[in-house]
Amino acid sequence: MRLRAEYSVGPHLKFLANLDMMHLMERTLRRAKIPYLLSEGFNPHIKMSLGTILPVGVWGQKEYFDLDIKPMPIADFIEAMNQALPPGIYIRKCCEILPLAPALMKVINAADYIFMMQCTGLDLENIAAQILSQDKILVNSKGKNKMLTKDLRPGLYDINAERQDEVEIIMARVSVNEPLNIRFDEILDVFVQYGINKKYMLDFWRRGNYIRKGEHYYSPLEKV
Amino acid sequence: MKNRLFKDILPRVSKPARYVGGELNMIKKDWEQSDIKMVFAFPDVYEIGMSHLGGKILYGVVNEKSNNLMERAFAPWPDMEAIMREEKIPLYSLETYTPLKKFDVVGFSLQYELSISNVLNMLDLSTIPIWSKDRQEDDPIVVAGGPVSFNPEPFAEFFDAFMIGDGEDLILEFLDCLKQNQELDRKNKLLKLATIEGVYVPCLYSVEYKEDGTIKAMLSQNRDVPERVRKRLVQDLDAAYFPDKPIVPYMEIVHDRAVLEVMRGCQRACRFCHAGIVYRPVREKSLETLKRQAQAQLQNTGYDEISLTSLSTLDYSGVNPLVKDLVKTYGKLGIGVALPSLRVDAFSIELANEVQKVRKTTLTLAPEAGTQRLRDVINKNVNEDDLFRAADAAFKSGWNSIKLYFMLGLPTETVADLDGILELLIKVRDIGKHFSRRSVEIRASLACFVPKAHTPFQWSSQNSFAQLEEKRRHLQCHRIKNVKLSFHHSHISILEGTIARGDRRIAQVIYKAWQKGCKFDGWSEYFKFDKWMEAFADLDIEPDFYTLRERSYDEIFPWDFIDTGVSKAYLYKQYEMANSAELTPDCRQAGCVDCGICGDFGVFIDLKEEA
Repeated sequence: MRLRAEYSVGPHLKFLANLDMMHLMERTLRRAKIPYLLSEGFNPHIKMSLGTILPVGVWGQKEYFDLDIKPMPIADFIEAMNQALPPGIYIRKCCEILPLAPALMKVINAADYIFMMQCTGLDLENIAAQILSQDKILVNSKGKNKMLTKDLRPGLYDINAERQDEVEIIMARVSVNEPLNIRFDEILDVFVQYGINKKYMLDFWRRGNYIRKGEHYYSPLEKV
Repeated sequence: MKNRLFKDILPRVSKPARYVGGELNMIKKDWEQSDIKMVFAFPDVYEIGMSHLGGKILYGVVNEKSNNLMERAFAPWPDMEAIMREEKIPLYSLETYTPLKKFDVVGFSLQYELSISNVLNMLDLSTIPIWSKDRQEDDPIVVAGGPVSFNPEPFAEFFDAFMIGDGEDLILEFLDCLKQNQELDRKNKLLKLATIEGVYVPCLYSVEYKEDGTIKAMLSQNRDVPERVRKRLVQDLDAAYFPDKPIVPYMEIVHDRAVLEVMRGCQRACRFCHAGIVYRPVREKSLETLKRQAQAQLQNTGYDEISLTSLSTLDYSGVNPLVKDLVKTYGKLGIGVALPSLRVDAFSIELANEVQKVRKTTLTLAPEAGTQRLRDVINKNVNEDDLFRAADAAFKSGWNSIKLYFMLGLPTETVADLDGILELLIKVRDIGKHFSRRSVEIRASLACFVPKAHTPFQWSSQNSFAQLEEKRRHLQCHRIKNVKLSFHHSHISILEGTIARGDRRIAQVIYKAWQKGCKFDGWSEYFKFDKWMEAFADLDIEPDFYTLRERSYDEIFPWDFIDTGVSKAYLYKQYEMANSAELTPDCRQAGCVDCGICGDFGVFIDLKEEA
């Protein structure tokens, strides 16, 4: 059977690179004695694909992977995994998907990032509105061999600001993969352009990954 | 501190996962409830240090088997070091983010001579005085262990004490001794420690030199302190502690797999080999123990590979049944078995195939020298036919690339021996061509021979830089298809040689070189040979005295007072036999060769699985 799992990566693990996360998951599968399936060939590997890649330095509340296993109850899978996972990381939810379901990488096309800041003294709501009113938002982006200028505007779906007690929070909903891949550090660059200095940042993380259909955003567990 | 690191510091450095700790199976003991607090400090980066087996053993034994605690620290990479210095962040332990200065004991693992510059740098980053004599009552006791400490003299003045030999039992006695003598002052604590077998406290010994610069005498300054320091050894490895739950790093490390130590020691009697002498005699684990340890390690780590490690794993008496059992048990889960550097003659087709069933690992063989004559000089009991048979079997079973280790600059080496290396490589490649439809790859790694203390070649002259370079050029001017040669840095080997057979006077050079900015000297991109040579010149110390000079029979060596159990008379006899290319057999098969350890230490060769 093929599973799709939603998991959470805590702040302590934000410095892990994608390959590290893959090794972490594979080792957990072995410790948890999950009946995973192996690929054929000289170098058999576990049939698992991490559908979302967290940038180094960013933690995530809802990340996803797909995995092929011999049939087992989903509740048992979640329990065994959560017992074997290191502190700070856990499986939130899980569902069975069709073996022919399109890969996560192909369907996930939007993500939310949260930026938590100490008091900036800036009118963040106004800045958010200002950014969204632009026709073009240009940033320098590293291309394959050279620096390119990239217009983020078509992929900036929403920006919200709010104040909670002592902190200020900005939420940015952006396009990933298709039609435009907006990287986390590019959003930070836009903020800097509008006077939101990096020194204000207390923490930032990815709140979720979504499948965007028209004006609707679905979780990868809802829309398989 | 942790908050500051996560928010301001670590996002600015490369590979931040090196500096955060919190890995699976990390042990974080209650600071207040623990007796003696020790930090295991590894003078290289995290991914090197976390690959080291000795550290895993010590970490486990202290934390699990005593009421003391041990945490870990590694050398920060230069980008992190710069930020730490700028932001005034002291070097801290990964378990509790405690500055090293707050520990009772800071213990460095010396695996390699040139890591000493990192030791100095780490002490400095911890604001602990670099010289032992400058440390005050509230400074930690700074100790060292590991293979390099079998000649502790070049580093003697930096450390308060050394632990010589197997550490499992010794470290517990050491920490307990400190606990029992907490009320004593530093000097008297050290005096107590010096009475433990295996502990060397340098400040309790004095050295006198002759006019020619060699040693006249080395004397203990206190009648309770032994003239010779005897290494520690653990006789029964089945009963010895071995970690069931080693830490599993989040980031990729150099040896990213479970490790099984199948035995300790080797008595093949290769004359260049330091480990072969200082870790005698051979002590094996039983199959039963190994299977249990493999099961525990894999269950608790989730690794996809298990490595059978020792100085010569193919000599383990139970290697065949062990490999078969591991492959049978774990192969279907996609877990592979790795055999590190194999002995050329012991390699069997069957075993190669067993391992290959699951995962094709790199095949590495070490003929060490290019001709039979030179292999006889170094007592590497391998002949060409063995090597060809091994290559034959490997290519037949589907390996496509073989790596071969050689040394340059061995005693008595001539041009014919160098040409022999090339001829050997061509023959191995041709065997590969015969079996493989794809093009084969033969890689030869050429290290520079460095004579080491406690070996038969401790009397020998080391090749000069000019000689080594000439040999390298000679080999490089022949280009051979599908054969790649890679050379170790000759300058690094020269410096390694100077320190390996150095005495107490070298400490000033090390200090000077560190002041001039030397660190990470084992990393060629950071190695600054010129700075080292400046340091030698500033202090008017001649490196050639330590490297090029052939020693006389009766010279007192700086390391003679370390008792490895192998007699100097045996070593000298081996040295003479080397010069006439006479062989010494393996004492397991041929009977005792009188190296001295078994009688002197009251120990024995411990083979577990012999029929």
